[in-house]
Amino acid sequence: MSKVKFDNPMSRQVYSLPELIEDQYEDLEPKARKVLSFEEIFNIQKIVITGAGDSLAAGEATKQVFEQLTGIPTEVVKVIDLARFYPKNQLGTDSQNPLIISVSNSGSGARVSEAVQRAKKHGAYILGVTGNLESDLGEYSDKVLELDIPDFESAPGTRSYVVSLIALLLLAIRFGEVRGNYTMDQAMDYRYDIKNQGENLRKVLDLINEQAIQVSKEWNDLPYFEFIGAGPDYASAWFGHAKFLEANGKISTHINSEEWFHINFFARDVENIGTFVFASEDNEAMSRNKELIHYNNIMGRPLVIFTNGTSETFDNEEGIYIQVPSAKYGFNNVLTNIAPICLIASYIAELNDEEYGRGTKGKWEFADNGFGVKTSTIEIL
Amino acid sequence: MLKKFDIKTSYNEIVDITESVKETVQESGIQDGLCIIYNPHSTAGVTTFSPWDPDGFLDLDDEIRRLVPTRIDFKHQHDTPQDAAGHVKSSLFGVNEIFIVADGELLIGGSQNIYFLEFDGPRSRSYYVKVSAD
Repeated sequence: MSKVKFDNPMSRQVYSLPELIEDQYEDLEPKARKVLSFEEIFNIQKIVITGAGDSLAAGEATKQVFEQLTGIPTEVVKVIDLARFYPKNQLGTDSQNPLIISVSNSGSGARVSEAVQRAKKHGAYILGVTGNLESDLGEYSDKVLELDIPDFESAPGTRSYVVSLIALLLLAIRFGEVRGNYTMDQAMDYRYDIKNQGENLRKVLDLINEQAIQVSKEWNDLPYFEFIGAGPDYASAWFGHAKFLEANGKISTHINSEEWFHINFFARDVENIGTFVFASEDNEAMSRNKELIHYNNIMGRPLVIFTNGTSETFDNEEGIYIQVPSAKYGFNNVLTNIAPICLIASYIAELNDEEYGRGTKGKWEFADNGFGVKTSTIEIL
Repeated sequence: MLKKFDIKTSYNEIVDITESVKETVQESGIQDGLCIIYNPHSTAGVTTFSPWDPDGFLDLDDEIRRLVPTRIDFKHQHDTPQDAAGHVKSSLFGVNEIFIVADGELLIGGSQNIYFLEFDGPRSRSYYVKVSAD
């Protein structure tokens, strides 16, 4: 094992997040304001957010805020479901409805292309959120919210996920503002809270990093990891499991706080399952999260809790508490509560001399340059 | 003499500011001159209106909305439809009123009060009262 420095491209991505949040807010705020007209925003009767991988998680992380701020029913649909299974008669229900928000920074995934082509064919209205106007997503979208994410060292995507979240949060805020659900002053307060998460993260990042290093050293040899949360925190848990698989290749699962009691708690070898729980203080499923943490401890699973609360919030249950920034508006917590898990994922990779994405070598060679995602038979049903 | 007043408005509120203007005139000690009420906002107005029948304010509100309804086809799309309508209303109503000061008092009719017209809201607003001698 080479000398571990706890400093790698992925951890440096995390350290770039405060500035990225502030800069991307400035870039995306005016774009999100103008991408749809008043008429288009008032026309929306249903929103479908679609994506794959991190983009799907970004949709899951913001589904509730779309419904909360806009009052418009909102679904998050996996691209393969939208492409192959979503009922045709629910696409193009009325003029320009539903609004499909398709998120993909590269815009180049075959299934993303297929999903937006099918949705457009049957009459839905497509708002692409992408950094690639030349991609199929850019081409088939009726409107595009263009992402412009500065280049960085290659690593499992942390920056692109956070930027996707900023874009979606700004769209939700904008839709609610235009539809008169709250005042412009309130809308600006929601927006500034997004930007302020940059500074909030900057203030605690060194402390989070120390804890992340400690957890990585202690849990490095564990073979299994599980990521749990509810609502928007489930999206962060999902994102955490994805980063573990990408960065260090450890076997990782994700599940929500309710389903854990139905399924995953049955797993054997409990002392070898590193369990990460995402539990924001204002999460509506807090009571269930407390039960989850309590029974997790009875079973003897190693436990880390990511929260903007404290151990007191969880009745001083045992566990390693990593305190993440607390936004003024809870829906903005998703921007920063993923910072520590990205650090841990990267440090465990470093400790194991593990190449990100297995270096797309050997058995993983077929996936080089995103081949497995970009190259796939497209069927427009 | 220039005096600033800060107020908090609610949605499309009509705020009676008559007493604050009269008191400012008296505080100024000016016997003869002019009093200007100025509102520095682009989605609010200032006007005079009869205070006697509360339903009259409903008529005023109805007519303002009829003249400039909140629509989705404004060309100004930077903010909200209500904001775009508010800009037009503010321009039509104007943002100031001028009164005569005579014998140390505001010269104003018995059926006239002075109102700050909120075309958005709730907002934190301000208005100025300037009293000048002849």
